Amino acid sequence: MRVLLMGNPNVGKSAIFSRLTGSHVVVSNYAGTTVEYTRGFLQLEERELEVIDVPGTYDLEPTNRAEAVASEMIAGGELIINVVDASHLERSLHLTLQLLLTGKPVVVALNMWDEAQKAGITIDTARLEQLLGVPVVPTCALTGDGMVVLKSRVQEARSSSLVSENGASLWQKAAEISQKVQKAPERASTFRDKLDHTTVHPVLGPVFALFVLLVSFGFVAYFGNFLHEMLEGVFELLWLPVAAWISGLMGGAGMLHDILIGTLIDGEIHFEESFGLLTTGLYIPLAVVLPYIFSFYLVLSILEDIGYLPRLGVVVDALMQRLGIHGLSIVPMMLGIGCNVPGVMAGRMLETRKERFIVGTLIAIAVPCMAQQAMVIGLLGQAGLSGLAIVYGTLFVLWMVMGAIMNRFLKGESPEMLIDLPPYRMPYWESLWKKIYMRMNGFIRSALPYVLLGVFIVNLFYTLGVIGYISQVFAPVITGLFGLPGEAGGALIVGFLRKDVAVGMLAPLGMELNQLIVASVVLMVYFPCIATFVVLFKELGVRDLLKLTLIMILVVVITGGGLHLLLQATGF
Amino acid sequence: MYKSLIELDLREEAEVVAFNGSSLMNRRLEGMGIRQGKKISRISSQYIRGPVIISVDGHQAAMGRGMATKLIVKPAERNGV
Ligand SMILES: Nc1nc2c(ncn2[C@@H]2O[C@H](COP(=O)(O)OP(=O)(O)O)[C@@H](O)[C@H]2O)c(=O)[nH]1
Repeated sequence: MRVLLMGNPNVGKSAIFSRLTGSHVVVSNYAGTTVEYTRGFLQLEERELEVIDVPGTYDLEPTNRAEAVASEMIAGGELIINVVDASHLERSLHLTLQLLLTGKPVVVALNMWDEAQKAGITIDTARLEQLLGVPVVPTCALTGDGMVVLKSRVQEARSSSLVSENGASLWQKAAEISQKVQKAPERASTFRDKLDHTTVHPVLGPVFALFVLLVSFGFVAYFGNFLHEMLEGVFELLWLPVAAWISGLMGGAGMLHDILIGTLIDGEIHFEESFGLLTTGLYIPLAVVLPYIFSFYLVLSILEDIGYLPRLGVVVDALMQRLGIHGLSIVPMMLGIGCNVPGVMAGRMLETRKERFIVGTLIAIAVPCMAQQAMVIGLLGQAGLSGLAIVYGTLFVLWMVMGAIMNRFLKGESPEMLIDLPPYRMPYWESLWKKIYMRMNGFIRSALPYVLLGVFIVNLFYTLGVIGYISQVFAPVITGLFGLPGEAGGALIVGFLRKDVAVGMLAPLGMELNQLIVASVVLMVYFPCIATFVVLFKELGVRDLLKLTLIMILVVVITGGGLHLLLQATGF
Repeated sequence: MYKSLIELDLREEAEVVAFNGSSLMNRRLEGMGIRQGKKISRISSQYIRGPVIISVDGHQAAMGRGMATKLIVKPAERNGV
């Protein structure tokens, strides 16, 4: 039997889901789309129920794509667990009534019970149960209170005898019911309200945001490096002997050896420089990029579950409006810093095609993913911070200018933001963990296979001499336009398939700092990888993807060429 | 006397009367509990045409300035005014 978990956003639905289903989750794609949802299993005596975490929604009549999925999913469920926010009863009940009217059996979890109590709200659950005609169970997903009762009463779920009425009166009905069952005192201002106030204060808000971002990126750099060093140790200890054994089997040379193991450095495998599928090909994504992606999504998900992200959206809204997107688009952008794939996918929370196009384009072109950043830091890091500062500064200017231009010339609407600011809350670690897993999944499941395929193709081309040929063909452009040595052309093309090799090929060319800067910007601006290309195609469609590609080529040429001239003129 | 939300003084209490925008927007507002008869007040506004923070029915939300201009409210009667 399939059970749907439904409720408004921020009512603790994910936390309840984790409580019900334990640690085993499956991420699935919703029939033919890239919309992902989580599934888990609930053991009830001898029966095993499949539980689906449906995206949060306010209304069964959808107002955006994510909500559209929620209402379509109803058809596929036999039972609904409706999660309700006890501290905002009336509002939650509106959705509850709509769910009851679908005729499906429903059980209501009255979550955030602890918050309601703290606010002095009392709810007569027996009476509520009677009025709704379905079981009602108070819960606190944070501590797990009420979960046993909820599980046992799932079997009692039944269709309500409430009769259908038109839309306006559903609200009246919700208000009526909540007045009958709830006693709520006037709200007093608390410490939390004050904190709340600071973080969206017109002056203190941006200062606080800057502070949060600095601390977050500091943590990512530090913790990411810590994890990287650990994994590096694991690779050296466990994988190196295996790879060396395989290398030995193949006699240390030959075409297959070149593809799988790569070149031996002083007769030994070197994870950073051998460039084989099984050496550098596994090492870079798993031991270098993954630790940073994980650290990044850890921080981002904590900020989200605490409730800070919508506030950050408020603070940056005025700026983002100039780019034709509202403040909440900062969320897909930030996700894109980890891996562009989940970033682009998150863009679907935006309502109009114009917004989704702008967000997709900005992420693909001006938001560097962890793999790109690792690559560029590897290339420029030794030369000091000034080079990196120029690269990141250029990307930021690009981000703003491109956004402003697209906003100006693209047809379509950019709606304003409208967002709930839920109170700050303690994250529930298990659902936090699942969310991070979901996000990493974008990288592991969608990007990693392409990375490995890319390694294979590049190595094949390399041994066949194709790369050298392409290099020669493009050399005049690369030299004339960007002022880079001709050999860099091969590296830039390879970079589409493999970031690690691109660096490996650029590093020994003995380029000047200004050339390294131009090469880095070009590497970051053009498509991050094939995986991003594929999700962009799924999210935007062929026509918009072609448009985006055109913009990208223009931007690469203009920015790369312009930067080259600028650095030359200033004698950098 | 009706006003738009944006014209309301900070923390001045009012009641939602109507929304002069698209029906889709109206539905979204309703879903968030911002609908006729609800007590509403403006808590703060961001600079340079950023969004407006409101408090409605015991919770907070942020909405764009254009939206706030279209939200018609009725300020509560104040004693002695
Ligand atoms: N105090 C309290 N916090 C909760 C409860 N349930 C969830 N939370 C927290 O509320 C936040 C939002 O919960 P989440 O499950 O992400 O909400 P969703 O958007 O409905 O999936 C998280 O920080 C949770 O830890 C609860 O019953 N009481």
